[in-house]
Amino acid sequence: MDFATIIAGLTDALTPLNLLFVLAGVFVGQFVGAMPGIGPVMAMAIAIPFTFALNPLPAIGFLVGVNKGGLIGGAIPAILLNTPGTPDAAATAIDGYPLTKQGKPLKAMKMALYASVTGDTFSDIVLITVAAPLAILALQLGPVEIFALMVFAFSLISGLIGDSISRGAIATALGLLAATVGLDPEHSTPRFLFGMFQLYDGFPIASVAIGSLAVSEITLRVARMRGKMRPAVVIPKNQTKDQKSVSFAEYWACRFVLLRGSLIGTFIGAVPGMGSTAAAFMSYASTKQTAKDPSSFGKGDLRGIAATESANSSVAGADFIPLLTLGLPGSASAAIMIGAFLIQGIQPGPLLFEQQGQLVYGIFGAMIMANACNLLCGLFGLRLWSKLITAPESVVFSIALVLCVTGVYLATGGAFGVFVMILFAVIGVIMTVLRYPLVVFIIAFFLGPRFELSLGQTATILRGDVWNLANHPVAVVLFAMSIFSIYWLGIKKRRRKASD
Amino acid sequence: MKLTTLMKTAAIATMIAIPGAALAQWAPSGPITLQIGFGAGGSTDTLGRAIAAAVEENTGWDVVVENKPGGGGVAMLSTLVNAEADGSKIGMGVTVATIMNLAMRGDKLPFKIDSFDHLATVVLAPVSIIARADAPYDTFAEFVAFSKENGGSLMGFDGGPQRLIMQSINNTTGSQVELVSNQSGAEIIKGLLGGQLDAGFSAGEHIQYLESGDLKMLGVATQSRHPYSPDTETLVEQGYPYSVEPYFYLAAPAGLDPEAKDALATAIDEAIKSDALDELIENVMQTKASNLGPEGTEAKLNSGLADAFALIEAAK
Repeated sequence: MDFATIIAGLTDALTPLNLLFVLAGVFVGQFVGAMPGIGPVMAMAIAIPFTFALNPLPAIGFLVGVNKGGLIGGAIPAILLNTPGTPDAAATAIDGYPLTKQGKPLKAMKMALYASVTGDTFSDIVLITVAAPLAILALQLGPVEIFALMVFAFSLISGLIGDSISRGAIATALGLLAATVGLDPEHSTPRFLFGMFQLYDGFPIASVAIGSLAVSEITLRVARMRGKMRPAVVIPKNQTKDQKSVSFAEYWACRFVLLRGSLIGTFIGAVPGMGSTAAAFMSYASTKQTAKDPSSFGKGDLRGIAATESANSSVAGADFIPLLTLGLPGSASAAIMIGAFLIQGIQPGPLLFEQQGQLVYGIFGAMIMANACNLLCGLFGLRLWSKLITAPESVVFSIALVLCVTGVYLATGGAFGVFVMILFAVIGVIMTVLRYPLVVFIIAFFLGPRFELSLGQTATILRGDVWNLANHPVAVVLFAMSIFSIYWLGIKKRRRKASD
Repeated sequence: MKLTTLMKTAAIATMIAIPGAALAQWAPSGPITLQIGFGAGGSTDTLGRAIAAAVEENTGWDVVVENKPGGGGVAMLSTLVNAEADGSKIGMGVTVATIMNLAMRGDKLPFKIDSFDHLATVVLAPVSIIARADAPYDTFAEFVAFSKENGGSLMGFDGGPQRLIMQSINNTTGSQVELVSNQSGAEIIKGLLGGQLDAGFSAGEHIQYLESGDLKMLGVATQSRHPYSPDTETLVEQGYPYSVEPYFYLAAPAGLDPEAKDALATAIDEAIKSDALDELIENVMQTKASNLGPEGTEAKLNSGLADAFALIEAAK
């Protein structure tokens, strides 16, 4: 790739027209992504038909903007209402929503914005500079290694959230059970269908995520409404600057958290099949685990927000590594992005950099510009959201519920998805009331299908003999780390209990 | 310059005029809904949306696209079968997916092949068997022999019939090829490039890797050879009597008014032959459109179902 092509590509991204489309994309992404129940992936799906008539660079630039804007937007309902529409945003809610309850929603949202833009910029730089070698490295990770990586992720996550390991383990098991509904990945045998062919591909992901995370929370909040109308969020008047914004000192204090989050996100993004949910929770778990005061997490710790948002946003940039070099989508939004490439007549794969070098660097330029737009747009937009949210509870939650039903209806293509959403809202309410960690349940459900597929692939590749693992040293190390992490977490928890 | 513009205008005018004349008999009373049996962003969705756009442009009808994913098209077909046969609802799926569902659990499904009036096929996916360029075998027959000598090998697949074909070949040759389930052709290619798989199936994603020199073709899994690799023999030519022919196809509920069926089939055929589709198919599959027409589509599904039953027997 010669230097002139790179410069020409980057210059293309800076033309006013392209900048306008990137900015428009960021705006749409932040706005639609912030709608409870609709979220970032739906924002992409809605935006795609608008790009048909455009030239390749503005079209992809627009979608890149929507994708990146959606990452910020998705955190907003999680922080303000505790109604995340995606599991990664659920990790943001753990520390974001307590800050809102303390009357500091703007501070929480700003931390999310800064962390998100930081992680995103980090992974974009990695993508632009070392995409090719990183792609080759990622190729070496086969099904066995990916399976081991998933086991490691589970071991980190299940012990850390909630107050009891056994409840966490039960929630994990229930999530995996829910994920087995549908045709099995190996032999396509139908399981738990009860005669409903709509369940062939399992419970629709949007129904489960929005039902158990958002609708159950809305239900619980509505159930608690009594007497006169109150605002959904109370923000005290005359707040000091410290309560409204994140100072540079606070941001700088999170630098290692942000760096770790960005590294985890970039790595997970480069390996197709894990996704941003695993990255967000692995980053959150490892931040909490290494903190000197883990008990402050879950009560409105800025580090919690920084850890999750930097990780899930850096997945978005790194997702482009397998996408551009192999045409392999690592996430739902990457799959939509591939569709957009094909419609524009661009085939992602090994010849892309050679044949479309200028366009690829144009896209890279657009990604960097989108990060700048995200910051600008976010700083203005967040104020608007924090105003809107002071509307009466009865208004905010009824609108949110309507949006959830609409979003699920659109995403699943019919009323069946809405019924599944209601079912999972009921399950969510029951689990919350009985103090089972809902978030653990949802992660297990999300990773379940991939976990099962990798398990089947691993069994075939190892020919059913565990000793063949000797040929996969990376997997062995990851398994050892999983055992170590469970042991360590167990000991820590027991000690903490003993000292209480 | 002016002359060319004039000629172009004339050509476009004729193109618009011909379907217009043919379709004067029947027009939908409202918008037509095209249900895609797969999720947004996949190849069926991409092709379906382009066909809808081309039909709208050529005929002036309103075509609304909906995704109805689930069970390889079963969710879509199960709704479509209950829709009114007035031409306002059509569906798009993949023949092999429909056939496999009917062959494996036909008694539990609310539809059969003749529950639909078939309208068109769009394109045949160029299914092939591929390996890394440096693999010590160049044809599928050599791969089978290699696997037998070395006590087994690993092969990636992403569809039911591919598995059945390989199991049948294992049964007759003792090749001991182990099958690794994957979610897409791109994932199989990742496994081949990363060295985790010895061979794999692919439906077009591999073609650019032939150009880049990373992969090679061992055999063609459809019934005839592919134009981009005219020297690669089919499985049948290499002595294995199996093939898989996944066509993207469109259907409506059975009992359409013949005039409506004719009008729909003509409009879809025009769309498939349009330049926009030609370019898209070239991009997505690196092949050409092939519409078998209403009768041809139905015949393909029927013969495919008979083959599928035979294949299930052979794979046991």
